[in-house]
Amino acid sequence: MFRHNFKYDILTSLRVREIIIWLIIYPIALGTFFKVAFGNIYDNDIKFTTVKTAVVVNSQEGGKAFKQVAETMEKDDDAMFSFVYTDKEDALKQLKNEDVRGIIYVDSKLSLTVATNNLKSTMLERFVEKYNLNAKIITDTAKSDPAKMGDVAKALTEEVSTVKSEALSKGNTNMYDQYFYNLLAMVAMFGSLAGLHVATHNQGNLSPLGARKCVSPTPKITTILSNLCATFVVQAICMVIAVTFIITVLRVDMGDRIPLVYLTAILSGFVGSSLGFVIGSIGRFSESTKDAMCTASSLLLCFCSGLMDAGIKQKIAESSFAWFNKVNPAAVMCESFFSLNIYEDYTRYLQCVVTMIITIVVFITLGLLMTRRRKYASL
Amino acid sequence: MAQTVVKIENLVKRYKELIAVDHFDLEIKQGEVFGLLGPNGSGKTTTINCLLSLLDFDKGDIEIFGEKMSPTNYALKKRIGVISQNVAVYDELTVYENIDYFCGLYITDKQIRKKYVDDAIKFVGLEEFIKFRPKKLSGGLLRRLNIACGIAHKPELIILDEPTVAVDPQSRNRILEGILELNAQGATVIYTSHYMEEVEQICSRIAIMDKGRKIAMGTKAELKKMIKNTETVSIEMDQPDDSLTDQMSALPHVYNVEYKDGKLYIYCSGGKHNLIRIMGVLQQEDIHFGRVYSELPTLNDVFLEITGKQLRDSE
Repeated sequence: MFRHNFKYDILTSLRVREIIIWLIIYPIALGTFFKVAFGNIYDNDIKFTTVKTAVVVNSQEGGKAFKQVAETMEKDDDAMFSFVYTDKEDALKQLKNEDVRGIIYVDSKLSLTVATNNLKSTMLERFVEKYNLNAKIITDTAKSDPAKMGDVAKALTEEVSTVKSEALSKGNTNMYDQYFYNLLAMVAMFGSLAGLHVATHNQGNLSPLGARKCVSPTPKITTILSNLCATFVVQAICMVIAVTFIITVLRVDMGDRIPLVYLTAILSGFVGSSLGFVIGSIGRFSESTKDAMCTASSLLLCFCSGLMDAGIKQKIAESSFAWFNKVNPAAVMCESFFSLNIYEDYTRYLQCVVTMIITIVVFITLGLLMTRRRKYASL
Repeated sequence: MAQTVVKIENLVKRYKELIAVDHFDLEIKQGEVFGLLGPNGSGKTTTINCLLSLLDFDKGDIEIFGEKMSPTNYALKKRIGVISQNVAVYDELTVYENIDYFCGLYITDKQIRKKYVDDAIKFVGLEEFIKFRPKKLSGGLLRRLNIACGIAHKPELIILDEPTVAVDPQSRNRILEGILELNAQGATVIYTSHYMEEVEQICSRIAIMDKGRKIAMGTKAELKKMIKNTETVSIEMDQPDDSLTDQMSALPHVYNVEYKDGKLYIYCSGGKHNLIRIMGVLQQEDIHFGRVYSELPTLNDVFLEITGKQLRDSE
């Protein structure tokens, strides 16, 4: 009986147009959009790479001082800048070809030319400003207190040259990957629509299908559990498709623990389906009302986890509702992908996994308790 | 003596202050096609849902095949087929898959099930549509699919709750013929409807319900005997003068005469040759008239006389 139900539940789920659209086509489309919108921003502007800069020395005296600072900066393993000394004509040519990010002209003070305004050009601007400021301090010190000039010059040179990027961890720090974690969370949350139908299609007071099943000799628990299992399988398939597309087609760096990424995605899908099951079991609202409730709650939870605005999760964390991030299934899903990709140890990841498992158990138990009724007060 | 298939005793179902079923008793014997007739809201569907243990009820006892009906009496449920007024099929499954799915809730053996499903498809005449999804079917075909899903497991008791709502006359006739065929194959049938013609056409015994109460029960003949009217003669004509209506009223067995909507209605109670006597008066008075109808009482007349209202007015 279970197998018979399961077979047809799988068949039914795979033919529900909403599932195909929301769980397969929509994430592929949105993922592609994310990649197009954010994919190159990080590589071009955010990801820390050495900023190649052309230097045109117009003043021997200034050039000597600059070279001293530049050599100190370039020695560092995490050097921010690499300098190419050339003439003005060649420098302009390199800038035009995007071989360099900017041109520093060394006279009595530095001046800068950049082709575009972006983070790397901003870094160059800050460096030039800082250099000019410190050079002025050194000049002023030489005039007012020549005895201290050596110490000041050394200190300021070190200050400029030790400006460097500090990586948060050894993992993938691409902040835009957060949107793909959110996308996976959204696919999982939209699985709630499938979970919802498990409840409505087995409740005699919620749908004619439910009534027909209730008058059949198949125990209710059999139809519900087979239906839930089928929903989980379909949801798992959708999650695997989404993760595979993100990793292999969009080439998003999901870290080197890919099997765990898949497992986490599948577990997230179960959370979404369970949420739908519990929503479907609450009250006697019509199926369309419950569909709306499911979609609205999924979107709201995804919004709070940062799908539409990456900063919202941080704002919640800083508010008096910080606990919400710990229970919001979408936020927990994102956090688990983030932890897998960023942290070396599994502590935070395991916390997320345990939270998801508890969520599934609680949702399914609540759903079963609410749908266990065999007789209804009204139909 | 035929076995009692359904026995309902003193059934009461309340929705807060509203009494949906009011001390309802019923006994249906094996092989009957039993009609439950009443206007919308009279308590027919509520009674059926209580019978099926879908609805909780406040008072009463329900037995089917001599066993107490309960939601977990799966052996009993196996012997019952239900066709509800709402079409309950999966839009995502084909005609064949839908019937196979619902039949599979009753029959586990694959070989037997396949045969039963094929039989059901043939029975409702959906052979050409087995690969169609429900959305591609017309209203009548959809109703037939709904019936096939309810009877594929060859139940001994079939409960049809208004199965012909929103069905074209051709499909309706086919459904009614099918019900009689199922009955001929040995199934006991409970048929609820607010269409008195259908109930008259197929049911061997009828209970008339109103406001949750059973107001009359019996065979068609027994029910019609309960009322005064045995024949209504209507004549299309101009407004008659008082002398004509007086003459008509004075005829034997005539108990009421009235003129409305361009017709003169003469109500008779018992007797024979009422129409001949009425025509004699018209000839004698040299009255011009149009079409003449002589109608025997219907279940609507029974309902009208008992409740003072029309069955159809209550819809």
